[in-house]
Amino acid sequence: MAIKLPETDVVVVGLGAAGGVAVLPLTRAGLKVIGLEAGTWMNPPTDYHADEIHNNVRALVTTGNKVGREVPTFRNTPDQVARQLPRHPMMNAVGGTSIHYHAQSWRLNPWDFRIRSATLERYGAAYLPEGSTVEDWPVSYADLEPFYDYVEYEVGVSGKAGNIQGRIDPAGNIFEGPRQRDYPMPPLRSCDYLDRMTDAARSIGFHPYRGPAAINSQAYEGRPGCALHGWCDRGGCHIRAKSSTDVTTIPKAQATGNLTVTDNANVRRIETDNSGKVTGVTYLRDGEEYFQPARAVLLGCYTYENIRLLLLSRSARHPDGLGNNRGQLGRHYFGHWDAQAGAGASALFPFDLNIWYGAIAQGVMVDDWADDNFDHAGLGFIGGATLHTYTEKHPIGAAAMGLYGRTPRRWGAEWKNHIRQNAGRWTSAYLQTNTLPYENTWADLDPNVRDPFGDPVLRITSGPKQNEAKAAAHAAEKMQQWFRAGSAIETTGQGGTGPSLSTHAHGGTRMGLDPGTSVVDAFGFVHDVPNLGVVGGSVMGTAGARNPTQTLQALAWRSAEHLAAQWNTRTA
Amino acid sequence: MNKSKNADDGTRSSDNSDNSISTQLSRRTLLRSGVAAGSATLIPLVAVSCSSTPTPPPDSLSAELNAVLDAFADRILPPDAEGPGAAASGVTRYINRSLAEWNQADVPLVRGGLQALDAAARARHTQGFIALNADQQDSLLLAMEAGQVQDFANAQAVFNRLHRLVLEGMFSDPYYGGNANYAGWDLIGYPGAVLGSTEEMQRMGGRLPPLHTSAYGEQHDGH
Repeated sequence: MAIKLPETDVVVVGLGAAGGVAVLPLTRAGLKVIGLEAGTWMNPPTDYHADEIHNNVRALVTTGNKVGREVPTFRNTPDQVARQLPRHPMMNAVGGTSIHYHAQSWRLNPWDFRIRSATLERYGAAYLPEGSTVEDWPVSYADLEPFYDYVEYEVGVSGKAGNIQGRIDPAGNIFEGPRQRDYPMPPLRSCDYLDRMTDAARSIGFHPYRGPAAINSQAYEGRPGCALHGWCDRGGCHIRAKSSTDVTTIPKAQATGNLTVTDNANVRRIETDNSGKVTGVTYLRDGEEYFQPARAVLLGCYTYENIRLLLLSRSARHPDGLGNNRGQLGRHYFGHWDAQAGAGASALFPFDLNIWYGAIAQGVMVDDWADDNFDHAGLGFIGGATLHTYTEKHPIGAAAMGLYGRTPRRWGAEWKNHIRQNAGRWTSAYLQTNTLPYENTWADLDPNVRDPFGDPVLRITSGPKQNEAKAAAHAAEKMQQWFRAGSAIETTGQGGTGPSLSTHAHGGTRMGLDPGTSVVDAFGFVHDVPNLGVVGGSVMGTAGARNPTQTLQALAWRSAEHLAAQWNTRTA
Repeated sequence: MNKSKNADDGTRSSDNSDNSISTQLSRRTLLRSGVAAGSATLIPLVAVSCSSTPTPPPDSLSAELNAVLDAFADRILPPDAEGPGAAASGVTRYINRSLAEWNQADVPLVRGGLQALDAAARARHTQGFIALNADQQDSLLLAMEAGQVQDFANAQAVFNRLHRLVLEGMFSDPYYGGNANYAGWDLIGYPGAVLGSTEEMQRMGGRLPPLHTSAYGEQHDGH
């Protein structure tokens, strides 16, 4: 029998990138909030290491205790048996995956919010990819702009604006939507290699800019500037310069006196009453089961667990899971790696780049071949990919370099000379592709694989996507052109090998106006459950050519602010 | 991320030499200058050791198989005039440690694979792998890499896994038992683990001088 705890105003399930932001507007509005987090607090100076074995080989930062037991299974087509990977980079901790992501912090392009109507207007219906279920979002870029601004200033984002209230500045991203003001901090320090690539991009007519990062470029709100030590990828920041929510919005929310953080809490079910409204959540902690009553619940786990917890929370009023009375839960799921797994480009230069240190987010970007920033007439696809070249190379990864045709095999004396000369002279690019939802891609419960509590894990079915594959291959060509302009002597590029489980998982609880094609409304609340909100990548209807983090944080802020403003209506 | 995933192509060779910029930038300067740009925070370049010297775990492989592994590792990264090979750099020590700690699932593959490699050597040459000359060893490894060794069905999988483990041992932090005397990092020009970098440490124009710093300070069993 669960131990019943005193009622609170709001329970937030999961204190990661999204839930960790939502707690701030809630608590500032005076609501009493309990944050239930499956992990615990990290201690940056002792928990993170400048160590490739720790971060990248053993994946000790990115492998949480709970997420490690519920990695989704994956298959390409419904006739296959889905298989479970041994691990997937997620995290259980206060701060969640905002601790170990690369911390590039993007606003989406205005086009991303209205791909369907924009494509019909510019190219006609034939350009909408076959089998895609893409809809315009129920919010526009302009609707979200104030919330992007809150996140940039409250979380702490460094960068250079390219469009302030319509004034274009070519030092920033000229393709971005209009913003009310610049970032609170300038971009991260540049370096020789990035300066060279910036000049190279301009020489071929591209429009390079320094990518925005949720990393301090200078001291900000009591946290130091980034030390650029080269261990940001799949590692946490030892000096708290990365603006993960455990060092930004969560402590600010605690300072209001209205947030209680309950760590090591494994939420099993969202509970509802006979009217179908949410009454609270049931969780396990130290072997005890608790029921935490709440007037409202915000579900803020990673996309996979948001979908799974809703599917598992069945009741008489919600027999197929919460938010699934129209069969939409798990539909319109998609990942950034659905089309572009393995997509990318690499280059070998005739000199040492000295990009061992730095950070993945210490980079230079080109948006010319992303979104609808170029004419797609005759190309056979819509969207594209951002081009990103960056610093931070780790020695094992550097030595495992390609042969570039310069040595016959990857071992022996000749190969040793190859890596002696070239391990510090090659680099790769990061290409992120605009990605749409499709009928052939969804999430449901796996019929065979269960977690240690006996609950099924999530199962991803992800079929091929022609549009995104073409967009990624097109961008890989452009990236190689850019590398060559930067004096690379060898380049490689490929468009991707097909779908795989994504670290940029989107959708599954899509936001929309029509309950027949979406799970949550324009403010992120489940259509037929007014006091249950969902925050995180699972509400997003399309993926930009960039990671979803700042967008899902802006949406989380907006959902939380809406809940506080509409408290009586939502909790009546 | 697919940082290390790339196809092999191209034919030209580069003739650039590795001009060290150590004249401009000494190790001492680097160690003193751990100041992040735009910040007054002083960042020590050598991490504080997080634990006392760990006791090395017992070898997961027999002395006999360790010798085969040493010989295998030295064909992947042979010693040469400029530096030691993988065996002298402690790669076998690293692999044993990983098999005892976080790679336990690989023990059957590695143990069985090394036994199969040794058996294949005896079948071809009537003596074990370590007794073969370098050319004989290389031709056996070529066949192994191609998955074409008689009575060694998973030769290719074993080769790929051992190849990866040799790289890990050679180029990981010496804290884990390989990369002895920073031989792996010196080979590829990685200066060492630091907790902050300066603009000079990202300047192009030649190799950075070695720092020989571990993320775990000087007190570990890797030296």
